[in-house]
Amino acid sequence: MTTAGLNRAVAESTPPPAAAAWRHRLAAGCQLARLYLVSRRVPTALALLAGLGSLLWAALHWHWTIVGGAAVRQFIPLTIETGAAAVIAVTTYGPFGEPERAAGRWLPWLRLSAAVALIAIAFGALAAGATPGGLPGGTLALLRNLGGMAGIGLLAAAALGGAFAWTGPMAFLLITEGALAHRATTPWVWPTRLPSDRGGAICACLVIAAGLLLTTVRGPRESGRESGPAS
Amino acid sequence: MMAAVTSAPARLRTPRAVRAVPLSAARLLRLELRRSVMPWILPLIAALFWFDSYRPSTGTAALYGLRTFWNMGQGHTIIDFGPFVAGAAAWMGSRDGRRDMADLVTATAWPRWTVQLATWAATAVWAVAAYLVFVAVMFAVYARQGVAGTPPWWWVAAGAAAVAAFSAAGFAVGAYWPSRFAAPVAAFGGFLAMALSSRTGFSHTTGWAQILPTNSNGNFDGSAQANAGIFYPWTPDLPVARIMFLAGIAVAALGLTGLPARSGGRRLRCAAAVVALAGVASAWTAVDLASTARLTTHGMVIPALHDAANDVPIRYTPACGRAGTVPVCVNPAYRSWLPDLTAALAPMLAETAGLPGAPARAAQFAAPYPSNNGALGEPVTLGGQPLVLRLSLGLLNMPGSCRLCVGPAVQKGFAGQIKLLFAHAFVDAGARPGSPAQQAVQAALEDTAGVPFADQTMLLTMTGTPWWGQPALLALTNGSESGNGPGPLAGPVYAAARRFAALTPAARHAWLSAHLAALRAGQLTLKELP
Repeated sequence: MTTAGLNRAVAESTPPPAAAAWRHRLAAGCQLARLYLVSRRVPTALALLAGLGSLLWAALHWHWTIVGGAAVRQFIPLTIETGAAAVIAVTTYGPFGEPERAAGRWLPWLRLSAAVALIAIAFGALAAGATPGGLPGGTLALLRNLGGMAGIGLLAAAALGGAFAWTGPMAFLLITEGALAHRATTPWVWPTRLPSDRGGAICACLVIAAGLLLTTVRGPRESGRESGPAS
Repeated sequence: MMAAVTSAPARLRTPRAVRAVPLSAARLLRLELRRSVMPWILPLIAALFWFDSYRPSTGTAALYGLRTFWNMGQGHTIIDFGPFVAGAAAWMGSRDGRRDMADLVTATAWPRWTVQLATWAATAVWAVAAYLVFVAVMFAVYARQGVAGTPPWWWVAAGAAAVAAFSAAGFAVGAYWPSRFAAPVAAFGGFLAMALSSRTGFSHTTGWAQILPTNSNGNFDGSAQANAGIFYPWTPDLPVARIMFLAGIAVAALGLTGLPARSGGRRLRCAAAVVALAGVASAWTAVDLASTARLTTHGMVIPALHDAANDVPIRYTPACGRAGTVPVCVNPAYRSWLPDLTAALAPMLAETAGLPGAPARAAQFAAPYPSNNGALGEPVTLGGQPLVLRLSLGLLNMPGSCRLCVGPAVQKGFAGQIKLLFAHAFVDAGARPGSPAQQAVQAALEDTAGVPFADQTMLLTMTGTPWWGQPALLALTNGSESGNGPGPLAGPVYAAARRFAALTPAARHAWLSAHLAALRAGQLTLKELP
């Protein structure tokens, strides 16, 4: 081991041209994004979202509807949308904790981009799954319901940690089911409202905005306790 | 060295070591109970349980059969618990795999499957104990509210078995797929299973689908459910079959976790395979038993599981009051509605007093079970010698708020409905709409008892009114009906009813005394009414 190589490296370290620097930064950015997505198990999440899209297709194609009124018929599509929101919420869980927070300058932007991209992909997958027709409320209701429930998942990640963020959308599904059964129409339970309803859309937008904001700025809750819900 | 080891005589386990096995197993379970994530989920489940299981049930009459229809019959306590328990169990099942500790744990003194079973047991103990505590608190609140009848204990046991089955299934998912997504996938699978159970169960009144935990057909059938635990015991046949089914699923799922090579030795894995097969056999047998279930007057009966002792009616001392001079007796569970009932019957009994077909007393009878949601029996009939007004109140919505009912407020409608049903029984129309003359006299008697003609249209379509309500409504509106509801009152039946109601009480009484037999025989026409 000598210092010869080091001397040579110093001697050759001339400033790179601007285009090369951009290429270098772009490659580094791509590498950072890739590592972030892999650490959040996004490839598995994409596979699951594709599976949920297929499930929605099967449910609509073979008419898996519950006997009852129009509201009850929403239940199976809503369950599938909830599953997609739960998957998105769980991707916020990061295994690195404090070191990543301290060193990751781009972390907030990565969190925001990943969440928005996954919501968009989930919407695309479910919209594709809705092609047989018969989705209650159509794609507008799908967008509102999925977006709102993903927002609840992101809020749950901030409150409970990414690993248990799935409980938020699942709990909301139960509340929605109760509201559908008893004909409650509060805009905060937006799946009970018509797709064109402004109140429901505003509430869903508020929830997703709050979820994205918290995810970006604060990130999911991390617990130091081994047995805690975020372990 | 190897030879020395293999040739060494096997050491027998000392009595002290034998004693230490259950002790260390208990210690392991205690550790797992402390490390389980299940308690973290319980506050959320408690909130959902209150919102989805308890709160809607308070909107029904204070009878166990009605109060528990939503949360036990339609399985909402299971829906509130199951998916979350499955998710938490999947998280616990995937713990070692997620932390890359599977190999480390495999090398410990206990076989891996045994350790996994301890982890599952801790999760299941938390979940089942919480389920039982939450249900106990709910029933305690019911008792404080004066809910009458017997709680459906067998259905509580079936719910606990369902929670254990969800925990086992979720645990198996986590054990086989150690991923952060195991928990949401297990919970989602639980929700989907419940949704599909409701989808199939709601539309199947008989057959194998009776085994599904959210199927309310059977022991929670139609309106006669209100009488279970009041006139006769809850039949345990169907819940016993469901417990067998759910326990079978739990055992099969746990057996599956013992099949991988690292779970233990060959004998242990063989034992796990046998356990899994036993679970499948139990579940299969339960499905087979459920397919033989048939609806009897006391509820759903499975011949292979049925105990005749459960058919013995519950003995009781009736609670009695008076409607005018006529005694009215009901089951003590209905005591709180006795004033409503006597107040509703008094004007009708006064109107018919002294007539040859007037009842000498009124008494409550158990409603038969095979009411099958819509094909209801007659809630009020006249029979016996001397004549008794037989009231099957289990077929009606008793006064009180009713969030689950479709239609107008029950408080207002109960008195009118009793009068309508009495008038229908009095003109002896039976389980049919009756002749136009009978329909006219029926409407007139209600009008004179304080139910204006305009209100009768609502009563004829109210929950609890048998099928003849619709033809009777069309007779009063001369066949006019639209999507907005019944048309205006018109036509010959309505005109005859108004004419008859306009008579003086003495004139009506005299005419009925002379013509009641012919009216009941259906021999009179509208023109022959005064």
